[in-house]
Amino acid sequence: MVPNNLAYTEEHEWVRIEGKTGTVGITDHAQHALGDLTFVELPQIGRQLSRGDEACAIESSKAAASIYSPVGGKVVEVNGALEDDPGLVNSDCYSKGWFYKVELSDPAEAEALLKPAAYEKLLGEGEN
Amino acid sequence: MPRKTALYDRHERLGGRMVDFAGWLLPVQYESILGEHVYCRVSAVVFDTSHMGQFYFTGPGAGEQLGKLCTQDPAALKVGRCKYGFLLNEIGGVLDDTILMRLGGQQYLLVVNAGTLDGDLEWIQSHMSGAAGVELVNRSGAGWGKLDLQGPRSAEVLGPLVDIDLHKLGYFGVTEAACRGRRLVLSRTGYTGELGYEIMAPADDLVRMFDRLMASAIVRPAGLGARDSLRLEMCYPLYGHELSPLRTPIEADLGGFVKPQREFIGAEALREQFAAGTKQKLIAFRSDSRRRANPENPIFCADRAVGRVTSAAFSPSLKVSVGMGYVDMAFCRLGQELVVDTDRIELPVVVCEKPLYTHGTCRASV
Repeated sequence: MVPNNLAYTEEHEWVRIEGKTGTVGITDHAQHALGDLTFVELPQIGRQLSRGDEACAIESSKAAASIYSPVGGKVVEVNGALEDDPGLVNSDCYSKGWFYKVELSDPAEAEALLKPAAYEKLLGEGEN
Repeated sequence: MPRKTALYDRHERLGGRMVDFAGWLLPVQYESILGEHVYCRVSAVVFDTSHMGQFYFTGPGAGEQLGKLCTQDPAALKVGRCKYGFLLNEIGGVLDDTILMRLGGQQYLLVVNAGTLDGDLEWIQSHMSGAAGVELVNRSGAGWGKLDLQGPRSAEVLGPLVDIDLHKLGYFGVTEAACRGRRLVLSRTGYTGELGYEIMAPADDLVRMFDRLMASAIVRPAGLGARDSLRLEMCYPLYGHELSPLRTPIEADLGGFVKPQREFIGAEALREQFAAGTKQKLIAFRSDSRRRANPENPIFCADRAVGRVTSAAFSPSLKVSVGMGYVDMAFCRLGQELVVDTDRIELPVVVCEKPLYTHGTCRASV
């Protein structure tokens, strides 16, 4: 079961929409596939991200990857705790393991994201 | 099709993520690479190393034959002792790195890597053909296996399971022992820098030993991922990364393990290289960042390309990224600042003393 209050992408990111703010993280499926995170590079506060821009660089004990922003907007807050403890993404990906928050430039973009049921269906298909 | 070790079902049951390593299906991790790494440094873990090769040499000519092939001197090796060394080609390049164990006056065991096993065997047999008084038995693969129990609490776990006194088995010692009447070979060696043992036995007995070790509340299983980061912190070389037929042990900064006064294949090339020096040397480096380099990344000093990375990883013990690489002699001194081009960024690193991790318990008294 994935959290019901989030929106998702096919690339296994999640977005929490609260008013004009979108918080971005990666899903449990993603953290499990990556393995232990060892390095996280967060975006600069104030940076203007378009949907699809590379927002974060991450490294795990097995892989290196990027997070491409699922929504556009100005970065207003980042989770600095990840710089010293990237393992928070593994231990608590939907809460303490969030990456950054943006002030959404186009709240309608969120409509294009996957609803929880659709994301679960995607995960289910991946298993078959 | 990759082969399965005798412990394959155990790995699956324990949630191991299986990968093809040198033709064998082995767990890269169970729960977490970092967790297994840290646990090995503080407690005890067990690795399935059944993919590695075990060549048993017996007979009155065994020592003499091995002496021609190995950098280790079998005659100088006491019964019950192990020595690290190499099989070399004529130019002194490394065909494999091995541990030679002397089990008896005329009994030796050579432990070799999985990826090089077939080539080693062919090479050894071609050089031994017609030799009198030596029999080679290949106890590798199906029917045989090896476990590595590693970590400061290893002796505490293993002691009650075997009929020998582990206090008497010092670092790089080897002995035959028994567990509930079943014979096995036990060496106090490993690839982590921690106190530990390698256990070699027929597959059925090895599976029972694995179950007995896992029954201890102290022991957890660990996979190839942790094995790699543990050995990198100790600056132990990995064949195919630090070692190859084009690099000699001297270039790999392992010249202390070879004594080419004696004749063996490659000895002459080593004597020449000891006299002339090498163009490059294997160095260890660390960065101030958690961000890691990758094998094959070029290493620079200012704008000058001076070397290449062989292994790199985040070090769970040092909490920064570390690595090893071959670097031109002029840029090898401790404290030398270098830059690794990782494709994505330029990562500043500094040349460090080996090993990178200095709190290992491998030499501790039991």
